[in-house]
Amino acid sequence: MSKQIEKVMTAKEAVNKFVQDKDHLIIGNYTVSACADLVFEVARQAKKGLTIYSQSGIFDVEILVAAGLVDRLVSTYVLRSGGRYGGSAVERALQNGTLQIEDYTNYNYNARLVAGMHGFSFMQVFEGIMETDLFKKRSFLGDNKYRVIDCPFTGKEIVVVPAANPDVCIVHVQRADKYGNAQYWGALGSVAAAALASKKIIVSCEEIVDHDVIKSSPHHTIIPAFRTDAVIETPWGAHPTEVVGHYNMDRMGYGIFQQAAQTEADLNEWMDEWVYGCKDREAYIENYVQKIGQKRLNSLKAKDYFSAPANYGSAFSSPWDENGRERSMGISPEEIEELMEERGLFHG
Amino acid sequence: MAKKYSLNELLIIAVAREIHDYENVILGVGLPTTAGALAKALHAPQANLMMESGIIDFEPLVQLNNIADAMCCRGFSCATDLFSTFTMTYQGFVDVCFLGVAQIDKFGNLNTTATGEYNNPKLRLPGAGGASDFISYAKRTVLTMRGGEFVNKLDYLTSPGYLDGGDSREKSGRFPKGSGPSKLITQKGIFKFDETTKELYLSRVHPGIKVTEVKKDVPWELKIADSVVETAPPSDNEIAFIRKFAPSESLGKALMVELATAQFLKETEERKKSYTIE
Repeated sequence: MSKQIEKVMTAKEAVNKFVQDKDHLIIGNYTVSACADLVFEVARQAKKGLTIYSQSGIFDVEILVAAGLVDRLVSTYVLRSGGRYGGSAVERALQNGTLQIEDYTNYNYNARLVAGMHGFSFMQVFEGIMETDLFKKRSFLGDNKYRVIDCPFTGKEIVVVPAANPDVCIVHVQRADKYGNAQYWGALGSVAAAALASKKIIVSCEEIVDHDVIKSSPHHTIIPAFRTDAVIETPWGAHPTEVVGHYNMDRMGYGIFQQAAQTEADLNEWMDEWVYGCKDREAYIENYVQKIGQKRLNSLKAKDYFSAPANYGSAFSSPWDENGRERSMGISPEEIEELMEERGLFHG
Repeated sequence: MAKKYSLNELLIIAVAREIHDYENVILGVGLPTTAGALAKALHAPQANLMMESGIIDFEPLVQLNNIADAMCCRGFSCATDLFSTFTMTYQGFVDVCFLGVAQIDKFGNLNTTATGEYNNPKLRLPGAGGASDFISYAKRTVLTMRGGEFVNKLDYLTSPGYLDGGDSREKSGRFPKGSGPSKLITQKGIFKFDETTKELYLSRVHPGIKVTEVKKDVPWELKIADSVVETAPPSDNEIAFIRKFAPSESLGKALMVELATAQFLKETEERKKSYTIE
């Protein structure tokens, strides 16, 4: 059963409709093209008691943890700003006992999603993990963080991780059509797996394009429309992170956030200005232009470097040749009817 | 007269020299990517540089922001996903990988997760990322350390080196034969691992560094090679490449932030002036 056809909405509508308190929420993006607009909206709507999955939880996780919305975190990488004397919202929450974390390696975390996206209950990971504290020290997943089984074919011990099927994925991509076919390119990371393992998918994109654009480049589609619940067009939706073909990482904007993350007071101030103080992405960009300048923003815009088009052409797109005859049998529609009559193929 | 250089530049150059032509190379975040660019440009043009985000065979043209930076180059040969990059590594296709170190013990085991209690950490470090799986299955692993520390006992074992030393890594049966850390490169020198005991020892010091300076960073009685030689000094070409490709690596992070902030303030002043004129 396909999802509702009309999916284009605002970030506010999508988060309100598809994200609930206590959800398992996964950040679809990996390091780049962070779904900043959607993350900010979740923070503004204060969806509480979340379990967050993030492959590389630097930017997104800091904001949601700083907002006090995260009880549990499953990740492989978190922010440490400012080296030994710095800190992060994650570190402060762990020290205050308000956050529990389950650490995985990049591969182990991704394996849980790959199991989830295919409907399997577990996935094999590499046995070397058994020699590490990732295997030995467990948090809220306990025995189910990893299990060891015998391979039925080789008899060897293998380590497996459980499938993850988050309630909802928020993800930012380059383009989508209004039906929810979402296209993403660049460093593929675990973006498709994160989305497809999830029960609901909210897609934000730099631009909504005609369906014809999608049809002529299906190799870029990572989420087919029938899996998508919401489509949001949000230019600069990943700023200050980068989107291939649209804009580079804003090292200044990102640096201001990273610097702020070192202390609770500074990060709260940053959140007040950039997250709570802007009602949507447009307001956020307006604030950026006011404060940092249009020139800086313009300097981030990508210059075109187009992919060579893949040729999806074929010899013909109709069974009938230029003389109106069927290509293999050489007959016209009229002759078909005559033949059918002649050979007694008609019913009754 | 040879060009002058900083210890940070020397570290990057020493790392770059570990990359050979036609090798499949996994680059970790930070200085390994600058080293990769240098190797590709100067002595290993056919090296296949890869990143765990699924970017395979790229040539960096500007400094990378992260290991998923597809905008540091002009196209690349294969866009696969993270899952496949790791399964390629598991199958033995990766010749060498480069990892940064926060805490290391004498057998090359690494901690990049937390110091103090795991659940109530003194310092919460970034985490495992790709390090643990790469050091497990790459044919060799070169470690780099800037600002990290040698410790007698890790607070958390994130990435397996030679475990308890001797043949313990091999005996565990969980790693390919011959895998594990091959070298540790710091701003002071180059360390290797003893073939039998697998204990870290000082193999080379960088020009002008004394062995005693290295020893004082290490809390155990550091073993020293019978004849410690000096790292070959960087060539003018190598230094020139870093200055051009990654000037902020030459200057260091603190100075880079200072200059970038000054530049931003200057811009802001100019903007204010132009408003007043309007």
